Amino acid sequence: MIMETCLKKVMDAVDIETFFVCKDEEEGRELALALLEKFGLKDTDIVFIEHSGPGARVRARGYLYRAGDQYAWLEGEN
Amino acid sequence: MNKDKKVLLAPLDPVHDIGLKIMNRALKENGYETILLPPDYQPEEILKSALDNEVGAVLISRTLGYGVAELLSKFIDQAEAVGLREKVKIAIGGMGIRVELAQELGYDAGFGPGTVPEQVIAFIEDREPVLDLSGAIKSKKDITQGFDYKYANKRIEELLDQIAEKTLAWAADKTTSAIQRAELRRQMLDLPEGAEKEEARKQYVQLSDEKIRNFYENGTMPPYTRPLAPQEMADLEKYVETTKAQMRMKKLQKTDKNPTVFIQYGTGCPFMDIAHAKVGESWGADGVVHFDPSWNARAEGFLEGVLTHEQDGTIITWENLKKIKESLEPSTLWQVRAHRGLNTPETVLMAGKAGADMTKINVAYGSLGGGTDPARLTVDAIQCMKYAKEFDMPFDVVTNEELCGVPAAKAFAGMLTTAHIAIKMGCRPVLQPLFVYSPEVMITGEMEDNYVDFNAGKIMALRSIINAPIWPGAPIGFLTQTEDRVQSSLSTAMHGALASSLGVEAISIASSDEAYSGGPIAGPSRIDTLTALKESFRFFGSASIKPTEQADVIAEKIVNGIIDTLEKALEYETFPVALYAGVYGSTAEGAYPGRGGKGSVVTK
Repeated sequence: MIMETCLKKVMDAVDIETFFVCKDEEEGRELALALLEKFGLKDTDIVFIEHSGPGARVRARGYLYRAGDQYAWLEGEN
Repeated sequence: MNKDKKVLLAPLDPVHDIGLKIMNRALKENGYETILLPPDYQPEEILKSALDNEVGAVLISRTLGYGVAELLSKFIDQAEAVGLREKVKIAIGGMGIRVELAQELGYDAGFGPGTVPEQVIAFIEDREPVLDLSGAIKSKKDITQGFDYKYANKRIEELLDQIAEKTLAWAADKTTSAIQRAELRRQMLDLPEGAEKEEARKQYVQLSDEKIRNFYENGTMPPYTRPLAPQEMADLEKYVETTKAQMRMKKLQKTDKNPTVFIQYGTGCPFMDIAHAKVGESWGADGVVHFDPSWNARAEGFLEGVLTHEQDGTIITWENLKKIKESLEPSTLWQVRAHRGLNTPETVLMAGKAGADMTKINVAYGSLGGGTDPARLTVDAIQCMKYAKEFDMPFDVVTNEELCGVPAAKAFAGMLTTAHIAIKMGCRPVLQPLFVYSPEVMITGEMEDNYVDFNAGKIMALRSIINAPIWPGAPIGFLTQTEDRVQSSLSTAMHGALASSLGVEAISIASSDEAYSGGPIAGPSRIDTLTALKESFRFFGSASIKPTEQADVIAEKIVNGIIDTLEKALEYETFPVALYAGVYGSTAEGAYPGRGGKGSVVTK
């Protein structure tokens, strides 16, 4: 199954949660956003990040749809 | 397999066999003869027992760990080598076991966490399981049932009575354009197509703001708004039909004591709201609350059509409300808010006609923190109450002015004043104290030790005053939650457990991304908090959370503060006049009487 097919079935957003081994919050933020971009997500942001000791715990989000968009999962029903 | 053959249950595990013991009991209760081997048997011993006893099925259990997959796979190879594999059904169960894994390892079935005995018995009997879904069959609950609104605190009743009587007498000959529009909307909805209906529509437009008139007269859409296309509507219908057919609803409550749980929707798009509502229903939400955008409330007049909006809050139109209502499960409570703004009577009227179960009517918050003129909102609120009574809709009365900095006692005095007016009109109000980390306590430090006492004190205060339903919100835990998924979910769960322990009737909960301001709430984040809340109900069951003695001190302070506020309010002509004067919250405390609709109250 190709990525595009999977993303079409996402209701609104993809959250990726992970731990980056990094020196500070800024590096963690850059890594998270770069990762989302690799997944083909464009409308991205960091929902939560906390750096402590060895790295950063991150909750990063890519929106597939915002309100008012046309939702591919809805089109898929017909 | 029939019951003349035995079932062998064997933990291929050094220690764990609880799951098998549960299944063993269920099989016996269903008339099967079983052999339950103890833990730590070698595969060869298990196979020998199966052959010696000529069993019809072998149920293996194993907790997964490093190298375990190989062990389980080898067991199947060994069963094949001794000629057992083709004769008997072999299944594996345990933590970490999934159907796919079981198939991959060569088993006939796999049973993971959450398996019920019927699934295993059905496997043995070569049939589809008949699952008992009674836990998921929900019925709509009236959270006001059993409350008589009798006052235990007679002094407060006496004060409220006098304020309510003066206010109702003052409002008796007053009206507003909102009330007139509501009646015109009724005609627009009820009348058949024709000149009379057109006339009602024309009058409605004349009583609306310029941007609303532009919509009706020139088709000009407000910014970031568009009508949904016919194809989108057709797709939605199909989506709702398909989703309804596959709905299986969880039940959050562990005991009857656990409160009814509401979530709030208002993504901006009725379609996304519907999608979120279906997620919420599936994961156990008992009710959903419609959030509209503030510009929608502040304009005189409503738009029409199925409209989507790119920003927070879903536009109230008759068609949007109908679409959302049609998508909900029969057991889902649906609330449409009418607690601030210039269209509150029309909101309640449309909510009632669209089949809403509840609404939200307010004066103090809408006036002091919601930007609406106190006199306008009071007159409109009284009309809202008439509609609420007509459509038999209970409504909550919020105290969100606490978030502006108004002390709880004053906010409660405002809530009780509105509620008492409603009671006198024969309505069924629900008290909605905030269950949050409010600015007042940030300053006073009353939540420095814990989040329990202040919230408990609020409920205890209200319970000592009146026998009325209580629905803390909204959402519970507000301002304690961060963007961290675990922290916010846990905070919701803890506040939910506390609310349940205090015996309230309902709660409204946030999603796990409610504190995130960079974008809309995402569907999965709703599941986080619903799941966490369910776990907290499971954890506490009928057990309670015990506040410290400080809660009694806080409760007493709140009750005295309410009396003090009401005594001061009584010195003024009416409720709205006291609101203007800052009795229910002053500008120094962050309460500013709203200007929306100022000067628009007229004598009939």
